[in-house]
Amino acid sequence: MSSAIVGTRIRQHRRDLGESQSNLAKLAGISPSYLNLIEWNKRAVSIDLLKRIAAGLGVTAETLDGSTERGLHETLLEISQLQAVDSAGVETGRTAELIGRFPGWSRGIAALAQAERQASRRAQTLSERLSNDPFLNEAVHRMLTRIAAVRSAADILIEYDDLTAQERKRFTAIAAEESAILSETGEALANYLDKAEEGDRVLTPVDEVEAFFEQRKNRFGELEQASAGLEITFTDSRPAARVEQARDLVNSRLQDTIEDLLRSENVLESAAAQKRARSLLTDYAIGALLMPAATFADQARNAGYDVEALADTFSVGVERVCHRLTALPAGEDVPRFGYVQANAAGTIVEMLRLDGLRLPRYAAACPLWALYRAQQSPETVIRQRAVFPQGGRIVFVARARHVGLSGFGKPRHYVTDMIAMTEADARLTVYAPDSAAPVEEVGPSCRLCPRVNCAHRVEDPLT
Amino acid sequence: MGKRVLVAEDEPNIIEPLTFLLGRAGFDVAVETDGRAALDAVLSDCPDVLILDVMLPSMDGYEILKRLRADRTCAALPVLMLTAKGQKEDRETALQNGADLFITKPFANAEIISAVEELAKGRPSNRV
Repeated sequence: MSSAIVGTRIRQHRRDLGESQSNLAKLAGISPSYLNLIEWNKRAVSIDLLKRIAAGLGVTAETLDGSTERGLHETLLEISQLQAVDSAGVETGRTAELIGRFPGWSRGIAALAQAERQASRRAQTLSERLSNDPFLNEAVHRMLTRIAAVRSAADILIEYDDLTAQERKRFTAIAAEESAILSETGEALANYLDKAEEGDRVLTPVDEVEAFFEQRKNRFGELEQASAGLEITFTDSRPAARVEQARDLVNSRLQDTIEDLLRSENVLESAAAQKRARSLLTDYAIGALLMPAATFADQARNAGYDVEALADTFSVGVERVCHRLTALPAGEDVPRFGYVQANAAGTIVEMLRLDGLRLPRYAAACPLWALYRAQQSPETVIRQRAVFPQGGRIVFVARARHVGLSGFGKPRHYVTDMIAMTEADARLTVYAPDSAAPVEEVGPSCRLCPRVNCAHRVEDPLT
Repeated sequence: MGKRVLVAEDEPNIIEPLTFLLGRAGFDVAVETDGRAALDAVLSDCPDVLILDVMLPSMDGYEILKRLRADRTCAALPVLMLTAKGQKEDRETALQNGADLFITKPFANAEIISAVEELAKGRPSNRV
């Protein structure tokens, strides 16, 4: 650290605290004479030593090397360039003076600008979410269809004078019937939007991370590349031990790549989302080390994408194989996989989307999914050939596994992992259903499902 | 006997006004409410004009259109896409798959009639 004023700042802070040179030197693990040279700016300070001295003084290293103030200076200059303050006549040449005389106000201005930026980004993200919300899309689509029926029927009543009594009655009935449904739909939509505004329902950390993974189509080439460059020899065949070995390597060698990824997209707004994404990316990197891309794609194809067989081959848990399958690079004859994990309460705790499969964002999924059946037969693979209301054919493969400590008398808790693929893609896997296999009618969730006579319905659809 | 129009639409309260309007305009109207059934109906006996909804049970309108265009007998069938999905990408998808006209719901009755009358004269170039 070559800043000529670092030493001066250390001396100033030490004196302000009434700390002796010898005591601070002891805390920092150096001799008092060396600290004296540093304080008089006659010796450069390494980053490590600066951190130790800062710790001894109870301040951050940034405070001592002036980077906090430099950062603030840059932020204020950036603010002065904003369109909103363009005509305010900001005295940019006196920014350093402002910071020096009114550090609190300076930080306040910077905080305000940051809050404004976050609010704009939040509004933008919210707007993007709303336009991609399956519930809203469905509702708007249905409303437009209802309006079309009302308008067409009403126009017929006005434009055709020679309608028979029966025709007149019929078109009047259509207009009345559709108007009634339309007002119910409008009301349901208003309630939905009210609820969406109540809290962070639309922008929970889970949503943010999900959007982040969706943007990347569940695949992070940067981590694939960085992990491929690391050499690791697993010394233990136990899955848990291998994971820990891989985790150590990720923590020591791949953190920079992960942090770069977290900064690369604007989706991860909240600290909680960043934390969750960091943890999932760490898991992704662990998966890439345990099942390197170079061999995984071939092994997976040879095994017919059999999740359990692959878990054996790579000595890993099935959950990690499921994750890895969703990250397979796109290619001809490479099936695309989605992944859903649910806990024993049926709550979907993780979701990696598959194009073409509608997954409810805010409601429980359809109770007919194999996802919810798997816990009746733990550790058993359940395959389901499902057809959605719009005709989409999806094959679900679910398996419940025990999590937590096991032992006599201890309660057993299960979570379910489920992969999803289109029926066309399933033909490339061991999960291909034969043509005689029954096709089960399912939906995305009750609110989004038009199967009005379904015996398992718990909520009315948004008509 | 008028020219034949097949309406592939699953909303009964849209079907009724359409059937009435086209019937009054002199067309011979048939209806299919299921996507796959509509495709089969068109392939077995090609109508003069097809009015096609996008969201249909068992097979969506885009898929039907794609298959029709791949079939020699119906490659030139004039198709009017009629849908509540009116976003730019929906229009583009319709165009790419070979739709002749694209009308969004809610529609004006006169707009539908004149579109079908024009299409019934022969397949125009893409004007989506």
